[in-house]
Amino acid sequence: MSYMYAVARLRAMENRFLDGAFFTRLIECVTLEEAFKSLGETVYGQWIASGALSFDKVIDAELLATCKDLEQFVPDKRLLDIYRMPYDFNNVKVILKSVFKAREGGERRHDLLSTMGAIDTETLVLAIEGEEYGFLPYGLTDVIPHAWSVWEQTKSARDAELIIDDCLFTALKKVASELKIPGVIRWVEHKIDAENIGSALRLARLNIEPAAVLSYFHKGGTLSPDDMSRLLNEPLESWGKSLSHTSFGAIFDSIQDRSDTQAVLCDVSKALSASLIEVLNSARYKSNAPENILLYLLQKDEEAKNLRIALVCVANGLNREFARRLLSHGR
Amino acid sequence: MEYLGLTLALFGAALASLLAGIGSAVGIGIAGESAAGVMTEDPDKFGSCLILQALPGTQGIYGLLIMFFALNKLGLLGGGEAVLVTWNQGLQILASCMPVAFVGWYSAIWQGKTSAASIQMIAKKPEAMGKAIILPAMVETYAVLALLSSILMLMGVQLG
Repeated sequence: MSYMYAVARLRAMENRFLDGAFFTRLIECVTLEEAFKSLGETVYGQWIASGALSFDKVIDAELLATCKDLEQFVPDKRLLDIYRMPYDFNNVKVILKSVFKAREGGERRHDLLSTMGAIDTETLVLAIEGEEYGFLPYGLTDVIPHAWSVWEQTKSARDAELIIDDCLFTALKKVASELKIPGVIRWVEHKIDAENIGSALRLARLNIEPAAVLSYFHKGGTLSPDDMSRLLNEPLESWGKSLSHTSFGAIFDSIQDRSDTQAVLCDVSKALSASLIEVLNSARYKSNAPENILLYLLQKDEEAKNLRIALVCVANGLNREFARRLLSHGR
Repeated sequence: MEYLGLTLALFGAALASLLAGIGSAVGIGIAGESAAGVMTEDPDKFGSCLILQALPGTQGIYGLLIMFFALNKLGLLGGGEAVLVTWNQGLQILASCMPVAFVGWYSAIWQGKTSAASIQMIAKKPEAMGKAIILPAMVETYAVLALLSSILMLMGVQLG
């Protein structure tokens, strides 16, 4: 299969994306049953009909089916790996934390594992719990024992997580550079930057000593950990100016009210997520650009995220206005 | 040396048919990949896709037309005696075939790419079919100009 075929097929598949009007209708539903009925009329309906009981399972089933569909015709499967890799690493973190908790007498939380990773969750659990991770890809073979030993020394799950995240970004960069697709390389760098900016924002709220924050930032983006550390020394008001040489500057410039830090965090994470799609947007007008594969997956992911927000809001009777604010319109 | 003129003229006729044909085959192939992708998800778009896919095929026909013109000029059609062609006249016929050969070759490939993009356009906006046809048709203009150039040049070659 060629990229010309793949991109054309994706263009036709894009017609099945849920639009803004649908989300407006969904969010206005009074009960979850009503929302499920609306969802049943969309492409997600097949999973409701097949007996998936929770909306999480319906959304996961659709995302997984999309990945399996794409696997059939995408010329280079590594493009799918790039999308699925964060899920695999998240699963590794969940399993490790479960094991750490179990050692301290806590409960294992395997229900938090995502089926979206490329590595089967059962295999991953068996590999990590049985300490037989020699066959695991993306450098996990070396990084899991490292994270393990760090946890044994510090008892800090956060430190172990940072090591896993570092490995994720190194693996993403490696796959992207092997693919030699400029848009994908740029996207990975942008993803690392977005992760660092998100961490910086959270750290700014916690008022942590600037010298101690360097380890929270990852290398490989266009902004170095030193740049991020310097950013933390500045007030939030000047972040837009400091980042004006990057595409992130506009995100901070557009924030009107900086007094509500929770709202700022929410707006920035939404804008960062949209900017990750924006990086690949130039490929939208190229009929055979491989970047379109990743772009489609990210758009589908964004749709799933919006669906979760809307359905959680309906299920728990949350404030509709707040939910509307959380919804992103990446497309 | 007796047949050098005829050989040169036939070489030109062959190039017109060959290069324009190759270009059309490649162009149709590119548009076809795109059409197959769209039709996998939406088979109802077969009609629109077929029209857009066929557009780069015209260059191959133009090449064939010029080949017929050249053969006719040389008296090779109809089973009669071949016209005596000097090397100079043969070279003139070869040169006359070049516009459609090269422009046909390149324009068909680029028209195929434009058609592929137009097919992707109608995958999302079926109502824009008219606009989708105009875009690759713009490329066709230059293939038609090349065809006209070749015809006029061939008509200008004096044999006998």
